[in-house]
Amino acid sequence: MIEPVAPEDFPRVFAAAAATVLGGAGYAGLFAWARLRNRRLWLVGAYMCYTASAAAMLLLARIAHLNGAWQGVVVLMLVGYLLAPHGIWHLCAASHRLERSSRAPPGD
Amino acid sequence: MRTGIIDSANLNGGQQLAVKYFSVALVLFLAQMLFGLLAAIQFVQPDFLYNVLDFNVNRMVHINAMVVWMLYGFVGAVYWLLEEESGTRVVGLAVGNLAFWVLTVAVAVVVVVYLLVQTGPGNDLTRWFVNEGREYLEAPRWADLGIVAVLGVFFYNVAATFSKGRWSGIAGVLTLDLVALAGLYCAGMFYLTNITADQYWWWWVIHLWVEATWEVLVGCIMAWGLMHVLGVRRRIVETWLYIEVALMFGSGILGLGHHYFWIGTPDYWFSIGGFFSALEPIPLVAMVVHSVYDAGVHKLRNGNHPALAWIIAHTFGNFLGAGVWGFMHTLPQINLYTHGTQWTASHGHLAFFGAYATINIAFFYIAMQTWRGNIWLGSGLAGDGWKWKGALALLNLGVIGMTVALLIAGYEQSFIERAVEGSTWGGYFAAQMHPWFQQAMAWRLVFGAVTLAGVVLLVWDLLTIGVGETRRAPQFAAEAG
Repeated sequence: MIEPVAPEDFPRVFAAAAATVLGGAGYAGLFAWARLRNRRLWLVGAYMCYTASAAAMLLLARIAHLNGAWQGVVVLMLVGYLLAPHGIWHLCAASHRLERSSRAPPGD
Repeated sequence: MRTGIIDSANLNGGQQLAVKYFSVALVLFLAQMLFGLLAAIQFVQPDFLYNVLDFNVNRMVHINAMVVWMLYGFVGAVYWLLEEESGTRVVGLAVGNLAFWVLTVAVAVVVVVYLLVQTGPGNDLTRWFVNEGREYLEAPRWADLGIVAVLGVFFYNVAATFSKGRWSGIAGVLTLDLVALAGLYCAGMFYLTNITADQYWWWWVIHLWVEATWEVLVGCIMAWGLMHVLGVRRRIVETWLYIEVALMFGSGILGLGHHYFWIGTPDYWFSIGGFFSALEPIPLVAMVVHSVYDAGVHKLRNGNHPALAWIIAHTFGNFLGAGVWGFMHTLPQINLYTHGTQWTASHGHLAFFGAYATINIAFFYIAMQTWRGNIWLGSGLAGDGWKWKGALALLNLGVIGMTVALLIAGYEQSFIERAVEGSTWGGYFAAQMHPWFQQAMAWRLVFGAVTLAGVVLLVWDLLTIGVGETRRAPQFAAEAG
C-alpha cells in the first residue's frame, strides 16, 4: 500500500515534481543546442539542469514516500532522462545527415 | 491566378471539404469560450442565470464543444493534406461531404437538446435521446452511433484514397490510427451497473482515445505541417513520427493505469500506472530536443509566420500542459489528494490547449494561406501582423492565467477538502467557501475573458490576414519527398 504525502509537504512535492520535468527539459534543450552550436559552455549548463532535475527527483522520492519498488522507478527515471537526450541527438543527427546542406529553405 | 482574396478555385476537393470542417470548428471554438465564460461567472456568482442556463449545462456544453471542435479540426486537417500526400483525388468525396452535413446537423440538434432538455429522470429514453450521463462524453446514444458512422466514412475516404494513390509513412500511421479513433470511442458506449466496471471503460475513451489516438493523429498532422511550413525533409519527419508513436504508445497504454487509482481496481495498478505515467513526459522531452534541432538547422526561415508560431506553441504547450502539469499530480501518493479537484481542471486546460488547440490553429493559417492563393504570410505583413501576434499573446496569456488560477484553487482544495477534512462532504463545502478558492476562481474568470478576447481577435485575423497580398509563399511540400 502507498503512504500518502504529509499535508505540510504539499507545496514541496508539487514543486519537486514540476522541477523534475522542467530540469529534464532544460537538460535536453540545452544539450541539443550545445551540440548543434558546438559550445561546451551550454553543455555545462545542460548537466547543471540535469543535476537540478535529479536533486528534485530525490526530494520528491523522499517526501512522497517512494519506498520499495518505487525506488526502482526513481532510478529508472534518472537513468532514462540522462541517456534519452544522447539517443535522441544521435537520431536527430542521423536523420538530418542526408539533408543536402545546399538546400536551405528560402524565406526571411 | 488571383492572389490575396479567398477563392475556392485555389483548393483541391479535399481542401474544399476541409475548410468546411475548419469553419464549423471555429464556431464551436467560440461556443466553447462563451459557455466556459458563463460557467466561470457562475463559480463567482452562483445565482447568475440560475434555472435559466444552469452551471451543469454550461459546463457540459463547454467541454463537449471543445471535444467536438478539436475533432472537426483534426478531420479538416487530414482532408487538407490528403490529396497532396496521396497524389490523387479524394475517393468518396461526395460521401465525405454528406457525412460532414450529417455530423453538423447532429451536433446542432445535440446542443439544442443540451440547452433545453436537461431535467427529469434518467432512463433508457434519456440515455438514447438526451444525455448518456458520462462526464465529458455526454452525447446521447444516437449521436454516439452517428459519430462512429461519420468516423467510419472518414476512415474509408482516407484509406481508399491512399490505396488508390501512394502510401507514405505518414499515410500508414494515420490510417492505422483512424481505426483506433473509431474503435476506441465504442468503449464508452455500453452502460454497466457496476460503477467500477463502468468507470474502467469510460477511462479507455478518456485516456486512450484522447491521450493516445489523438496524440498520434496530431503527430501525423504535425509531421506534414513541418514539411509544409519549414520545408523539413520527409525522411526526418517520418523517422520522428515512428519514434514518437512508439514512445507515446509505450508509455501511454500502461500509463492509463494512473486513472485506475481510485475506482476500486487492484493495488498493482498503483505501481503500473505510477511507473508508466512517470515515463509519459519522455516523448514530450524528445519533441523539445527535436524542435530545438530543427529550429537550429532551418533557422526558422519560412513564409507562414503565424503557422510556425502556433507549431512552436504546440511543442511547448504539449510539454508543459501534458508533461509537467500531468506529472505534478500523477503519482498515487499525490493523486490521492488531487484527483478530481481543480488540479485536474488546471492540467486539462493547459494540456488540451497546448496539445490540440494550437496545432489546429496552425492548420487554420496554413489553410488560409492556400485559400488566398498561396500568398506570403511571413515578415512585412500589413500592420506588422499585430492581429495574429495579439491573438497568439492573448490566447497563451489567457490559458496560462486560467491554468495558474485553477492550480491555486486546486492546491487549496486538495489541502482543505482532502487532507484536513478527509474528503468529507463538509470538507468539499469548506474548500469551496474558502477565500483562496473564491479569489482564484475570480482570477480564472478574468483570464477566461482574456482568452475569449484572443479567440475573437484570432477569428478577425483569419478573416482578414493577407487581404491584397501579392507576394507568393515558397512551396516546400512538393520537394519534400
